[in-house]
This record gives sequence, structure tokens and C-alpha cells, in this order.
Amino acid sequence: MHFLRKKRLFIILIGMIILVVLIGYSLSNRGNLSKPEKMIHDTVGWFQSIVHKPINYMSNVVSNIGEMKNMYEENQLLKEKLAEYKRLIYDVQQLKVENEELRKLVDKPDSIRDYRAIQATVIARSPERWLEQVTIDQGEKAGVKRNMAVITPDGMIGKISATSDHTATVQLLTGFDQFNRISATVSRKNKKGIFGLIEEYDEKTESLIFRIIDESDKDLKKGELVVSSGLGGVFPAGLPIGTVTEVGLDQYGLTRTAHVKPAANMHEINNVIVVDRNLPMPEEEKKAKKKEDKE
Amino acid sequence: MIRFYIPLILFSFMVLEGVSLKLLPNRLVHADFILIPHWVFIFLICVVIFFEREEEYASIYYAVIFGLMIDIVYTDILGVYMFTYAITIYMIKGISRLLQDNLLSAIIFSVVGIVMMEVIIQLIYIVIGVIQIQWKDYVSLRLLPTIMANIVFLLIIYPFVAKWLSNWKVRIEKETVS
Repeated sequence: MHFLRKKRLFIILIGMIILVVLIGYSLSNRGNLSKPEKMIHDTVGWFQSIVHKPINYMSNVVSNIGEMKNMYEENQLLKEKLAEYKRLIYDVQQLKVENEELRKLVDKPDSIRDYRAIQATVIARSPERWLEQVTIDQGEKAGVKRNMAVITPDGMIGKISATSDHTATVQLLTGFDQFNRISATVSRKNKKGIFGLIEEYDEKTESLIFRIIDESDKDLKKGELVVSSGLGGVFPAGLPIGTVTEVGLDQYGLTRTAHVKPAANMHEINNVIVVDRNLPMPEEEKKAKKKEDKE
Repeated sequence: MIRFYIPLILFSFMVLEGVSLKLLPNRLVHADFILIPHWVFIFLICVVIFFEREEEYASIYYAVIFGLMIDIVYTDILGVYMFTYAITIYMIKGISRLLQDNLLSAIIFSVVGIVMMEVIIQLIYIVIGVIQIQWKDYVSLRLLPTIMANIVFLLIIYPFVAKWLSNWKVRIEKETVS
């Protein structure tokens, strides 16, 4: 056929070379997006935020009609819960004040628990579903940076993988691979804990794999809450990740792993909070010190 | 003026792909299989079949540009969609004169195009290690549902798109004659 002549073949070969170069460039551990990429992110993001509003409104109306059926029962349940919360709020306020005073006493104002919250709305979700990315409508201008944790009120959903001026891309927990580990622990009353890493998302069981490294108590049970430990240096401590559904040995029988079901719903994400850890990352601290030294 | 319509439509389809999951009922989103909207691609195939003359290559340029935009905005791995869209549209252009331009041929070319494009994309993703999946699982999980969903999309837009594109083609021919 005429479309496979020499010249055409030549163009296809050049195309393949460009493909390899581009893939190599984008997979190399680059810190930030290039200028043109940021520009396209911002322009498309602007259109997306316009389109997103009416469509979101429509889908909300539809799902609200569906939820109407359970409204009465839910209302009863929520009323009961509300009464509990009132007491809890009082307790929390007391504890906060006390905590602050004690921190002042020991002269250590920042803790790995503290964070600044940046509110954002999800404006698009990647149609390429293998990659599990969503786009939010806040970017560098609002202080969003790479590697920040992203949460919903239910729990952690992912981390920022790329930023432009007015949008940012969030890598969801369901798309995490071996390069995106979270240092996690099990939330318990006594100090002895179970520490480990959230390693990857298992599609078959629809849960995260929690590899246990240090296990002082050997009694991890179903239903316990796994939270971020803050020891990884990236995320603040205490962000809920999910609940344990199964505990077992890993494939080599050397370490124990647990399956953790994510606390947040990954399919219906509308409003998220980007978490800016108050305590600087260790590397940043070093860099800042180097700068000071030079000066 | 008419020539600006096509990139505009392509751009709006690209933006809409990002909110496509909101448009689907929840049951389909939570289901085991994966539906991927390839609306830009389907529209490009329509352009090739109904609008473009044989010696024009604008559709391939559009494939490169919008493929690259999809890469930048939705995947962060540059080049994959760009290359795949371009080469697939190129092949479709090569075989598009074998059949008359009607609904049936649009469906056939869309199916052929989607299969080819999807397989190339998976190949690239597997080679660079973004995903690990068995081909058998892939076909039943993603390929077949995606073909179905995109054919449904083609059937929805076909009545408008085929009419508009053929009209535009006639008008452009008149302009060039006069």
C-alpha cells in the first residue's frame, strides 16, 4: 500500500525516537513541570473548573434523589451522634489549650502533627484510569507544593505529584507504587505501637498493603485504624489512612503484612484538603542551613 | 472560520474527558471493568472519514497536538498518547478510502482504531513499567468495555457530527472554487 513508502517509514521512525526521548524525559526524576506544561495545565484547568461546576451540580441532584430514601433513618442516627460530639468538642478544646501551654513550657512550638490546611476542589479526573490521578483547582499560588498529603474528612487520599500556578495533580492512594511509600502506624492508646510502611495498592483485594517493620505488640486485629506516623518526613502524623481487614505473612514468610482498606472513598472525591506540614522536611532544613552558612 | 471549529470541538472534548466519570451512573464507575473515554480520538476518526480530503494531513497534526495535551494534562508521561494517536489516525487515513463514508464504516474504523491505539498504549505502558497486567485480563477488563462505551458515544454524536462535517466540507470546497 502506498502509505508505507520510504519517506513515511522515515517519519514513523523519527516519531518513535521522539517518543522514547519524551518518555525518558518525563520518567526521569524531574522535580517540577516545565514552563509550557504549566501553561497548558493552567489553561485547561481554567476551562475544566468552568465545565465542572454545572456537571457536578447535576450529578449531585441525581444522587441526592437516590439518597432521599434513607434520609429518616440517617437523621435519627446523626442526631444521636451529634449529642456525643458536643461533649467531645469540649474535651478537645481543653486538651488543645493544655497542649499549647505545655509546648510553650518545653519550648517546642511545632509538632509533626501540626499542619496548615489548603482547601481545594477536584475539577477533573484522569480518563486514563490506570494512573489514578485527579486535578484540583489550587496550585503554587495557594502554596501547594509537590509531595504534600491530600486528605478528605474521612482520611488520606493521596499526595501531590505535580503543580502548576493554579492547578495541581494528585496521585491517589490507589495508584501508589513502590516509589510512593507512606510511613504508617496503628493508632492505639498505649505508647508501644506497630510501625510499618504502606507499600502499594492491591487491585485484587482492593486494599493497601501495610508491611509491618516493628511490632512491639503482636496482636494486630481486624478493624484497627492505621494512621500516618509522620516519621517519613513528608506527611504530618495522625492522618487516618484506613482500617485493617486482614493480617498475614508476606509471600516469603519473613515479615507480616496487613491489608488496609482505605478510609476515604476514592471514587467520589469532590472537596479535598491539601496538608502543608508545619515542621520543615529534614532535607529542606539542611538546604536552608547551607544557604545561611554561605551568607 | 470553519477550520477553527474542529480544534475547538476537539479541545472541548478533551476538557470533557476529565469530568466524564461524573457523567456516568455510579454503578458503572464502581464496576470491575474500566471504561476509558476516547472522545477526542472518535471525533478525529469522524474528521478523517467525513471532512478531510485525501491529500490533506490536518487530522494528523491535530492528533499530535491533542495527544500531547492529553499526555500533559491527564497522565504526566509525555509522548505516549501523542505518538499513538498520530500513528493510529495515520493508518486510519490510509485505509479510510476502502469503504464509503456512512455509519457502518465509521463504526468499523472506530473499532479498528480503538483496538490498535489501546494495544499500543498498553504495550508502551507495560514496557516502561507503569502497569503490570496479563493481556487476558486486560482484554476483558478494559479493552472490550472501552470499545463498547466509545461506540455508544459514536452513536450519540454521529447524527450531528456527520451532518456538520459534510456540510463544512462542501462549504470549504465552494470557497476554494470561487
